Amino acid sequence: MDSISLLHVVSYVTILIFFAGFAMKAIRYATAPIHLRWELYPVAHEVGHKSGGSYLEELDWRTKPRKKSLIGELTFMAKEFLFFRGYYHRNRQIWYFVYPFHIAGYLFVVWLVVLLIGALATLADLPISAGSASLWGQIIYYLTLAVGLASFIIGTILSMSLLIKRSVDEDLKTYTTPIDYFNLSFVLAIFASGLVAWLLSDPTFHIAREYMKSLITLNPMPAMSPAIITHIMIVCLFLIYMPFTRMTHSIAKYFTFHRVRWEDEPNVGKGEMEKKIEELLNQPVSWSASHIQPGKRWSELAASETVSEVKHEEEKKNSKN
Amino acid sequence: MKKRRKIVRIEDIGKPSEQMVNIEPEDLMSLPYLQSSDSKSPPIKPLTEDQKKRYECSLDGVSAIGLPRLKSKEEEERAVKDFLSGLKKLLSRKDNWTFLQPLMLSLENCVKCHTCSESCPIYLASGRQEIYRPIYRSEVLRKIINKYLKKGGKFAKFTGNDIDLNWTTIARLAELAYRCTLCRRCAQACPVGIDNGLITHEIRKLFSQEMGIAPKELHELGTVQQLQVGSSTGMKPEAFVNIIKDFMEEDIEEKTGKKIEIPIDKEGADILFIQNAGEFLSWPENPEAYAIIFDAAGLNWTLSSELSGYDADNYGVWYDDIQLARIALKQVQVAKKLKTKKIVVGECGHAHKALIVIADRILTGELNIPRESCLPLLADLVCNEKLKLDPRKNDFPVTLHDPCNMVRLMGIVEPQRRVLRKICPQFREMEPHGVENYCCGGGSGFAIMSQTNFSDWRSSISGRMKIKQLLETFKDVISPEIRKYVCAPCSNCKGQFRDLLDYYNIERKYNLSYTGLADLVVNAMVDIKQPFLQEPANL
Repeated sequence: MDSISLLHVVSYVTILIFFAGFAMKAIRYATAPIHLRWELYPVAHEVGHKSGGSYLEELDWRTKPRKKSLIGELTFMAKEFLFFRGYYHRNRQIWYFVYPFHIAGYLFVVWLVVLLIGALATLADLPISAGSASLWGQIIYYLTLAVGLASFIIGTILSMSLLIKRSVDEDLKTYTTPIDYFNLSFVLAIFASGLVAWLLSDPTFHIAREYMKSLITLNPMPAMSPAIITHIMIVCLFLIYMPFTRMTHSIAKYFTFHRVRWEDEPNVGKGEMEKKIEELLNQPVSWSASHIQPGKRWSELAASETVSEVKHEEEKKNSKN
Repeated sequence: MKKRRKIVRIEDIGKPSEQMVNIEPEDLMSLPYLQSSDSKSPPIKPLTEDQKKRYECSLDGVSAIGLPRLKSKEEEERAVKDFLSGLKKLLSRKDNWTFLQPLMLSLENCVKCHTCSESCPIYLASGRQEIYRPIYRSEVLRKIINKYLKKGGKFAKFTGNDIDLNWTTIARLAELAYRCTLCRRCAQACPVGIDNGLITHEIRKLFSQEMGIAPKELHELGTVQQLQVGSSTGMKPEAFVNIIKDFMEEDIEEKTGKKIEIPIDKEGADILFIQNAGEFLSWPENPEAYAIIFDAAGLNWTLSSELSGYDADNYGVWYDDIQLARIALKQVQVAKKLKTKKIVVGECGHAHKALIVIADRILTGELNIPRESCLPLLADLVCNEKLKLDPRKNDFPVTLHDPCNMVRLMGIVEPQRRVLRKICPQFREMEPHGVENYCCGGGSGFAIMSQTNFSDWRSSISGRMKIKQLLETFKDVISPEIRKYVCAPCSNCKGQFRDLLDYYNIERKYNLSYTGLADLVVNAMVDIKQPFLQEPANL
């Protein structure tokens, strides 16, 4: 296997690990047992209740149909992901850093997508260049250039700024661990190595597009400078590292909002939810404090003749003391 | 020049010292009108030498849970072992299905941006004491998990998880779990959705469910007493019936001229009305008000004298899932026995949250009886003109305190406002209010916890933001010539307001008092000639 095809293998394997890691994390969160209700208002899918209110504001709510707005949830999340609305309103000082930092990340993903489109276009005999006879060829060319450059420049500046901010701001510094600095440095390395590769070897991102094309066709790829190979290797390493770190908080955010903060589904009996709850209530409990009888099932403990048993346990505790 | 405060780091929690943090009066957030007199004495009375010898208090010199000092190295080692055993259970699907998903999400994804800090009234009111920062205790737990339960713990020094799990850490963390009111304002502010309030709740659970450590007022005198004798107040069923029949019915007649027979244990009623039992002892005018309103509206309702049937309390919601389930189950069994169509929970925030929402996924089959808040019912009666009311009888400044459990945690925001807009011409909002409200500072059991010097801490720190808010809300009518009220439709919040107004001498100085919502409704009833709200005699 020559070095070129090895890079192909590395790219594919790391992309696979990246998606598998993300999926594993999402599955782990998604398959956690149904939890007791712990919602927090305002809940974005509530309809007809102003000031962050809920269906619990209605008399005899169980007898009334529930209205939920998917649009409400999507609008909230779109504002969050596009504008970092939460940070903007509640922590403007940090928003100035984290918003452009994440925008650089988004742009990097968009750059990869545009590269992929460009690669597919060249395979379809649509030339991608500044002087392309096709308007689409020109658009893709300039878009790749603009998005990639913006991502690398903004990403490099903001990763460095965040590193500096975390290391000089006393409040942030106290809670920043060596792992946090390493993660930020890793992200900085991606953007900075991309910038260097562009500066030294690939001013039109032609080689990047050709590499993308070779990934699709598995044909040998054009010659690449050490700067480009370094950038690709850093990205590949990041792909196998990121899913196993806190940097997957975008996935977590889906669950923290949709499955906790907004999870207000009432148990109205005789449904799938009640079945799940009954299964969980059938599990044995192994907590060891004296008011709990380990080994009993949840339902037995909760429904046990609590007065005599609690008294008994309290007496046992007192006699120990 | 203001002295520079010592930097407190996460790992400091395990480093033995007499006291991690000293809170000085000048550290605290300033209050309007009260600065000079408030800063004369230390905000928190120091523990006596005897108490210091008996209780762990090396966090901040305060003892909330009366944790006894351990006597030997062996006991300390045993405590560390038990703590780790509990921590493993907290992270297991089998032992902690009740909150595992939100706990995992909150433990694994905090980006430590400190957005939560600015939303925490305790952190702000304390003058930004590091140990009260919402993520401080969460970070302690994360580091312990990373070092002691995860692979790679040996490299803790290099990964930033260098923390010592010893008795000092455990004792301080147990106390620290009771420096947060679980108001979850921090969770609401978090852009990622991390819930430091939940992490605090889970730490409390670990201590209670595995190590048997919980404040006496919540466990022995709280849930255990409620399960044994019927109420966390210690009131037995016979005493409850006596209060209703021998005192409340007479009192209603004396105040209003109405002869009302309050129904107890009536089978087949539409509503089982269940209130915090503390109301019957401390504020009987509130259950009296409900009896008057329900009677005037012709509702088919009843109270219960069964064990737990006359006490909506469920302190389990603050520290122990098993106790929570036991009490909720008892309460719905009472409704089932009486064959009532639904349970309506009275003016008590945590009881609302516990019985209506959290217990929802514990109660199955025929025990899943409809459970509702008293506030929509009250709004229906008031706003749909089912009562004859004259708002001019409430023509004094009134503001509304939003109990966190009912408002931010249940979304019951408008009904109480609709009532107040209808019956109180001088109703005014606090800022912020509604789902963005500040906790009264007595939440999560604090209002009933008064061991050693904890009540001082509660009044001077956790309730400080609410007092500031209250004084600012009434700044244009602050004169003692004008009687004014904060309406707090929650027993725990009322208890906290009682203590706060007394601690800062506000009722006397500014003629500002507190009341329930139903009390204001009855005060506006046309056919009641005398004012239902009683002015204190000593003003």
